Amino acid sequence: MDIIVCIKRVPEVAEIDLQVDQTGKGIQEEGLVFGVNDWDNYAVEEAVRIKEKHGGKVTAITVGSEESEDVVRRALALGADEAAVVTDPQAEGSDAYAIAKVLAAAIKDIPYDIILTGALADDDSYAQVGATLAELLDIPHATLVTAIEIEDKQVKIKRELEGGMEEELAVATPALFTIQSGINEPRYVSIMGIRKVAKIEVAKHDLGALGLSPDQVGSAGSFITVEKIFPPPVGEGAQILEGSPDEVATKMMDIFQKGGVV
Amino acid sequence: MAEILVLMEHRQGEMKEINLEMLSKGQELADKTKAELTAVLLGKGIASMADEVKRYCHHTLVVEDEILSNFNSEPYQDVLSFLMKERKPSLVLMGHTAFGMDLAPSLATATEVPLATDCYEIEVKGDAIIPYRQMYGGKMCAEIHFVKDAPCQMITIRAGSFPAEGLKDLNGAVEQVSFQFDKDYAYKKFLQYVEAAVGDVDITQADILVAVGRGIGDPENLPMVEELASLLGGVVACSRPVSDKNWLPKERQVGTSGKTVKPKIYIALGISGAFQHIAGMKNAATIIAVNKDAKAPIFSVAHYGIVDDLLKVVPGIVAKVRERKGA
Amino acid sequence: MDFLEKYELYACLQCGKCTGGCPVSLRAPLNIRSLMHEVLMGGSPEVALECPGLWDCTTCATCTLRCPRGLEPSELIVGLRGELVEQGNVPKTVIDALEGTFKHGNPWGKPRQKRTEWKEDIAVKVLPEEGEAEWLYFIGCAASYDPRLQGIPRILCRVFETAGVSFGILGTKESCCGNEIRRMGEEGLFEELREENTKNFNASGVKAIVTTSPHCFNTFSTEYELDGFQVLHYTQLLADLIKEGKVTFSHEVNKKVVYHDPCFLGKQHEVFDPPREILRAIPGLELLEFDRSRERSLCCEGGGGRMWAEGAGEGERNSEIRVKDAHEMGAEIIATACPFCLLTLEDGAKTTGLEEKVLIRDILELVAEAMGFDNV
Repeated sequence: MDIIVCIKRVPEVAEIDLQVDQTGKGIQEEGLVFGVNDWDNYAVEEAVRIKEKHGGKVTAITVGSEESEDVVRRALALGADEAAVVTDPQAEGSDAYAIAKVLAAAIKDIPYDIILTGALADDDSYAQVGATLAELLDIPHATLVTAIEIEDKQVKIKRELEGGMEEELAVATPALFTIQSGINEPRYVSIMGIRKVAKIEVAKHDLGALGLSPDQVGSAGSFITVEKIFPPPVGEGAQILEGSPDEVATKMMDIFQKGGVV
Repeated sequence: MAEILVLMEHRQGEMKEINLEMLSKGQELADKTKAELTAVLLGKGIASMADEVKRYCHHTLVVEDEILSNFNSEPYQDVLSFLMKERKPSLVLMGHTAFGMDLAPSLATATEVPLATDCYEIEVKGDAIIPYRQMYGGKMCAEIHFVKDAPCQMITIRAGSFPAEGLKDLNGAVEQVSFQFDKDYAYKKFLQYVEAAVGDVDITQADILVAVGRGIGDPENLPMVEELASLLGGVVACSRPVSDKNWLPKERQVGTSGKTVKPKIYIALGISGAFQHIAGMKNAATIIAVNKDAKAPIFSVAHYGIVDDLLKVVPGIVAKVRERKGA
Repeated sequence: MDFLEKYELYACLQCGKCTGGCPVSLRAPLNIRSLMHEVLMGGSPEVALECPGLWDCTTCATCTLRCPRGLEPSELIVGLRGELVEQGNVPKTVIDALEGTFKHGNPWGKPRQKRTEWKEDIAVKVLPEEGEAEWLYFIGCAASYDPRLQGIPRILCRVFETAGVSFGILGTKESCCGNEIRRMGEEGLFEELREENTKNFNASGVKAIVTTSPHCFNTFSTEYELDGFQVLHYTQLLADLIKEGKVTFSHEVNKKVVYHDPCFLGKQHEVFDPPREILRAIPGLELLEFDRSRERSLCCEGGGGRMWAEGAGEGERNSEIRVKDAHEMGAEIIATACPFCLLTLEDGAKTTGLEEKVLIRDILELVAEAMGFDNV
């Protein structure tokens, strides 16, 4: 069972006050801590578990800045066998479609049975690269996967639906699955573990090496662009609901309905 | 005439609330772009659903086949690609749901249509359709531009973004569309639905959590909380003092020495919001806190707050929810 | 690393003094004597790694202090945890604490940018950027970020100012001391924290470090190899300042206060008297003693990673016993000098329903009252 895992290096933004950068199209990154996208972490763990159970090779790939090497190194420490980084300044500004094109080019010479990606990314949360990549590679896909069972001629998977329900599908390989958080409990990756894989070489590619031209990536190769970003309108801490218990209960109902709960 | 296609979502014979939300926005966009609004329904035995939506659209297209009886992105994609080629819509809308997330990206790629996902707003500026979406866990909003001169655009819509009411009657008719499948889609087969297991509670998987803290006072008061959780389709969780007392099992505890949760809705009842607890739930999408103490730290992370005794407030909420659900 | 050699397991008499003194042995599936034996007999740690009580250990080191052979059973537990860490097989809450520390410099994963928010409008020098000082005040992660504790460094800064102590802080360069990190088994991360902090200590220009927490005090004193630095816990420095007349108390605190010795200050470093001297100097304060005080102080169960690891123990917690004992002896306040003791004892006060009868206070909070500080 050879598996390719596509992972992304994202900033950690919980509890940080984000600022819009000078271009108005991104955030100020100074002082931000970066790490592997949470969903991708589950995907790497899942890939390694499948390998431990069924044998095969796990390759971790990322498309990003030079620093993105950190996340694939961590994947190696977690148990991946090989890693590759595609980095090229021309690829900046790529939307999910362009990223998927880069990944497709990076993957074309790597044999695989399964490709795993995270269901979405902590930063832009498009939830788009996985299924787009599957389409470009002409393989079946399933998103929001919460369980994978490798059988003889097919893979049985569970997908998360709304309201606590799931659906079970049978998919033939080669296939791509986007992984939902909670599918497993990712193991801890220790500092010593990362030191141990420091000597493993991480393949580095630029666009040229993959046979891609600049107009296929970046904003030129994208279908959408972020024209501007801005903070959402500010609230003042908790909005206190006032009134009699009955009035308050009615207000709560509105909130529940807005949340699609009732 | 330009056309907006809106893909209706349904499961096990029930249409999803997001359909009306999309149609209401669809009507507004159809007006503004001088387009027709067309609902698309795929499935089997969906005639009554089609009847429900037809009044809100200019057209309601129905494609019925055994192969479509349960959602499967593969046959759905083939049918929709065909429809998009035939009708050349200017805009295609579907929900950013388990359904839409599985279908939209591959469909958009197959039809070479730009796609903007998880949008909470769509504006029309001149000729252009401008979707808006959130990023960085909701800390930033982004204005998205589609590549110029794309004849068709696709947008998936975040549930709860648009009202599901105030729709006009457009009195459209239902049109049956036939589609010949030439594949059996053995490579991606729907097998069955799996209901959530009752009893093995993993609070980290719940969309809705009703959490109790010391303010609950006595385990005798728990059944009321359990009822609220059950009516909302959620699960009961707690802060440390409650699990310490074994009023609830440890697996329900939220916090640094318990579980970290990220539900859609977190209702904190009688929880003061000690730092260690907040660390375990601060990323919940909507936090509602009920606490007697107006200065309780929980109010600094909650989106909504009620300063009152939960024992006074919760019964009223339970009654209202019961009423709404007709239970 | 050979476990038998590293922990000298052949020398173990199996006398049981370790388990006999272990503060969690009655409520947790942890028998340190057995573990020593299991690893020795097995020749390797494998079987011992399955012990469900490994995460209950608070590393209070009572076992190590009592061992007649001078062995270090608490270190064996740290070593076993280290094996689990390298396997990646540790509780989720421990993973979060370790990853949070790696990324943000504190086990709660709070942003480094916010590490000095405790300061509010107090003017404190950041060393070395904003000048020089005699003392480096190392705040610690808990006091930096936990709203319940943030008042404590504010008080100490004001005390230092009043006493004319020349001091500064590392500001956002301060990273977790690593005491708990090491005791959770992440030796690699501990080494990185130690290197980072030592570099900053060296660059700060001071020769003396004072800490809020006994945990930071412990690791700096015994595990950091800081040559040429004096390391003190704040109670030691404050007791001296009182003796020198630089700190005086103008207000009475008419309360019955019992002092709880933190393990990482008391039994591990024999700093028993300075905290008591401070409390006795407060006018009106009646100082009581637990039966289990000083070396025999009952571990509150907050150390050794227990702030992040639930452990398998059941039944009454030590913090609850402590609070009940305090109440029974007529104490109105339990005073302590450790942020973890404070938080853990407060939890115990909540769960026993005694939180309005027995208040938990850091010594500095009582000092603030005695010095007439308002608004801390």
